[in-house]
Amino acid sequence: MNSLLKAAGAALALSVIGTGLSFADTIKVGVIAPFSGPFAIYGKQYKEAIAVYVDQHGTKAGDHDIEFIYKDVGGPNPDNSRSLAQELLIREQVDYLAGFTFTPNALAVAPLIDQSETPTVIFNAATSAINKQSEFYVRTSYTLWQVSAPMAEWAYDQGIRTVATTVADYGPGIDAEKAFAAAFEAKGGKVVDAIRMPLATTDFTPFIQRIRDEAPDALFAFLPGGPPTFGFTKTYNENGLAEAGIKFLGTAETEEVNLQALGDAAIGLTTAYHYSGAHDSELNAAFTSRLSEMFPDAIANWASVGAYDGTHLIYEMVAAAGSDGPAAIEVAKGLEWESPRGPLKMDPETRTVIQNVYIREVERDPASGLLVNREKGVIATVGDLGWNP
Amino acid sequence: MSLTETAQVQSGRRGLFSRRLVADAALLAVAVCAFFLFPYDLAFLTRILIMMILVLSLDLVLGYGGIATLGQAAMYGTGAYAAGLFAIHVWADPVAGLLVGALAGAAIAFLSALVVMRAHGLTLLMLTIAAAQILQEIANKARPVTGGADGLRGIRMEPLFGSLKFDFIGQTGYWYALGVLCVVFAVLKVITASPFGLSVRGIKASPARMTAIGTSVYWRLVVLYTIGGAVAGIAGALAAQITSLVSLEAYSFSLSAEALIMLILGGTGRLYGAILGAAIFMVVHHTAASVDPFNWLFVIGAMVLAVVFFVPSGLLGLKDVVRSLARRVS
Amino acid sequence: MSLLLNIAVDGIAYGMILFMIAVGLSVTMGLMRVINLAHGGFALIGGVTMHGLLASAGMAYGIAVVLSVAFTMVLALPLERLLYRRIYRFGELQQVLATIGITFLIIATVNVLFGSSLLAIPLPKSLSVSVDLGFRTLPLHRLLVIGVGFLVILGLYGLLERTRFGIRLRASVDNRNAAATLGINTGHVYAITFCLGAGLAALGGILGAELLPIDAYYPLRYMVLFLIVVAVGGMGSITGSFFAAIGLGLLETASRYLVPDFGTIFFFACVMALLAVRPNGLLGRA
Repeated sequence: MNSLLKAAGAALALSVIGTGLSFADTIKVGVIAPFSGPFAIYGKQYKEAIAVYVDQHGTKAGDHDIEFIYKDVGGPNPDNSRSLAQELLIREQVDYLAGFTFTPNALAVAPLIDQSETPTVIFNAATSAINKQSEFYVRTSYTLWQVSAPMAEWAYDQGIRTVATTVADYGPGIDAEKAFAAAFEAKGGKVVDAIRMPLATTDFTPFIQRIRDEAPDALFAFLPGGPPTFGFTKTYNENGLAEAGIKFLGTAETEEVNLQALGDAAIGLTTAYHYSGAHDSELNAAFTSRLSEMFPDAIANWASVGAYDGTHLIYEMVAAAGSDGPAAIEVAKGLEWESPRGPLKMDPETRTVIQNVYIREVERDPASGLLVNREKGVIATVGDLGWNP
Repeated sequence: MSLTETAQVQSGRRGLFSRRLVADAALLAVAVCAFFLFPYDLAFLTRILIMMILVLSLDLVLGYGGIATLGQAAMYGTGAYAAGLFAIHVWADPVAGLLVGALAGAAIAFLSALVVMRAHGLTLLMLTIAAAQILQEIANKARPVTGGADGLRGIRMEPLFGSLKFDFIGQTGYWYALGVLCVVFAVLKVITASPFGLSVRGIKASPARMTAIGTSVYWRLVVLYTIGGAVAGIAGALAAQITSLVSLEAYSFSLSAEALIMLILGGTGRLYGAILGAAIFMVVHHTAASVDPFNWLFVIGAMVLAVVFFVPSGLLGLKDVVRSLARRVS
Repeated sequence: MSLLLNIAVDGIAYGMILFMIAVGLSVTMGLMRVINLAHGGFALIGGVTMHGLLASAGMAYGIAVVLSVAFTMVLALPLERLLYRRIYRFGELQQVLATIGITFLIIATVNVLFGSSLLAIPLPKSLSVSVDLGFRTLPLHRLLVIGVGFLVILGLYGLLERTRFGIRLRASVDNRNAAATLGINTGHVYAITFCLGAGLAALGGILGAELLPIDAYYPLRYMVLFLIVVAVGGMGSITGSFFAAIGLGLLETASRYLVPDFGTIFFFACVMALLAVRPNGLLGRA
């Protein structure tokens, strides 16, 4: 707890009787995420993953007890995000912030965490530039460059020479498009067409037909999760692009929560990503089996692993630095650990994890009958390539 | 609706202004007390104040002018982006930013009103939605200027009146928003009680009659919509300054829809309805979302249905309902 | 040439889906004049029922469609008796508030029962093939929607213009009191029409799910889309909605072939221009 906040807290204590000043040995973590509305699944994933981590490692980090406080931000809503962060910092006296699914929500708290020197662990928001806004951001998810560029390089190595990029026309989509094109052209490949699709698109046939006529070796897609991804992959399949030899390359499109809903249309889709629920390791098996024991309908995906590793990072920071924000950030920098997704290292410069990126293909698991992202290759230790594009 | 309104206008005429002033003073007292009672929730309270300004702007165009719009976010968002860009590139003075937001909101409202005010009913509704959607897409495409979906960042406001810094707890922000709300409320009171305001009510009651007595219905409505746009622009500018970030959500359909729900909830055609509706909706939402976020829609849905079935004229009409019930019992 | 053909084929196929998802609304809102923002809620109920029947009961697709539509209509009846019968008499704004409230409750219920992720409605093998049109292929499912769309428009036309019920309905809607004095049981007529609208909503939700997938927030996500179709078509005109849906489908498809980057702006600008020129919609009655 830094002096400014203490002063603020003391000033408030004078005006209000019975102020709940936090106990010295309990470190509070405020989690800001959507728990309601169309994006409620993110909050649910975070909360479940945190519960699994706490179950496995106890509620103590070093000498400190850790307590999580959850706040519902409802969706992309920076006004609410900032006001919730203020409430957490002032009323609850939290020492750490975490969560943040959408870039604007994460950016909105930058001036606050700078002032209060509160380490803020981003579980998801994937725009590289966020971490430049404050020294107190650390990110355990990924950035769009981090997964899009390896996808391009792998594609080239597989003999793919021409690609059409089709991305949703908004910030993240354009980031993905640029990252893919830069890496693919650096290798010597050719991007024959760069289509930006309106976010409100429901019928993707025109774009798919256009690509079919251009007949590139592959298409690279980036779409927000849920309905757009569903519509796009469905249309890709129905119009026989796979049979025409146009391979599907993507990133988050086949994430586990909505994967079963995509149905057989998803089989064969190739994606580059940092986590698959089917990742073959002891840690991942322990994580996923504990998760489904505690929450029978839960499905592990990138949001869960982002929160799980974020919680690990918070435990490490708390154990070593307690409530001293700047010291905690120093602890985080360069930290290495083994995660359910593979080996991780917190890059001291970008404060985003350096991690393996896996090339996966969707298959139907013979044992469970469910669709899974089967890892076919790995590109080791990729940092945030979008830091200085 | 129109009956109660005429009654209201008459009672207002009959020198009951003093009673109204008491109500205003009471509201202000509540706002001041809230500052001291909920010192930890100033950020949330400030959001309520901003929302009140937006709902007031909607009340002006819908409650008084009868313009059923689902696109008030068009002006709110434009005000927010204008104030944000002005602060970044020109001058970070808060009050100047508000004026820029108001002007931008008014400009957009005027331009769209030229088209929108020719239509009625569902068509008008769709035109206002379409205008907001187009603006949102423009803000999305103009990524180098607006930051697109990542949001417009880098807004650093100078101290209010050159001396009051925007503090961490949000005390300055609260007083600032409350001050703006009071000014807006007072101005709207004057406007709605003015001859212009009365002619607009006349248009709502019967456009044909007003045309017959020589009023230019179209231009009156354009002016009304433009004033409403300025107020919505102020609300957006205020939000941009308090949050220091503007996102595409400022243009979202759901913002317009929520403002409309708040207004009908509180009661249309009375400025107090906007205040009450915004306060009740935001507080219930906030409380329900922190108790059980997953199921808060049940609470809101039930509340909305209960109000519309039992107090159809909005929560402001509650006292009439209670009175008539009491009469029936006695 | 092939570009024009592509636009025509995809535009009509997409337009038919738009028609199917909006036709229920043009019955409740267009004919019955109730601002029914809960339209998407009934489509959602249909889609969720379909999902349940296919996923857990493993029922055949065709039977499941019939049962889901029937279930939605059965569910709509008590809602009409309890709530809508009073909503008809409300002012426009109260109708907005009431039907939004109903939508929220439907969403919250689906959310509790099924969660907020996508609810798949898998097509049977026989429907998930593509048909060769000579110059390109088209998924059979789209052809099915086109066929059903034509059946629905013909059926509705016949029902409204050629049957006694249609006459009663038009009379009740135009002047309810006069119709009642003529001995028409307007309550029954309204109830039947409302259930018909709900059933069509469910059918549209199910058939449109290939493009507009079902999840708890479906009614809010696509609300603007439904409203546009009815507004452009004109209140009170089913045929208008039909032409509006096809026109909007062609317009949107053309914009995606020709100016993909500015598709959304182009689309809404066209809608605005059209509504500015024809404030009552294509075939609307003032």
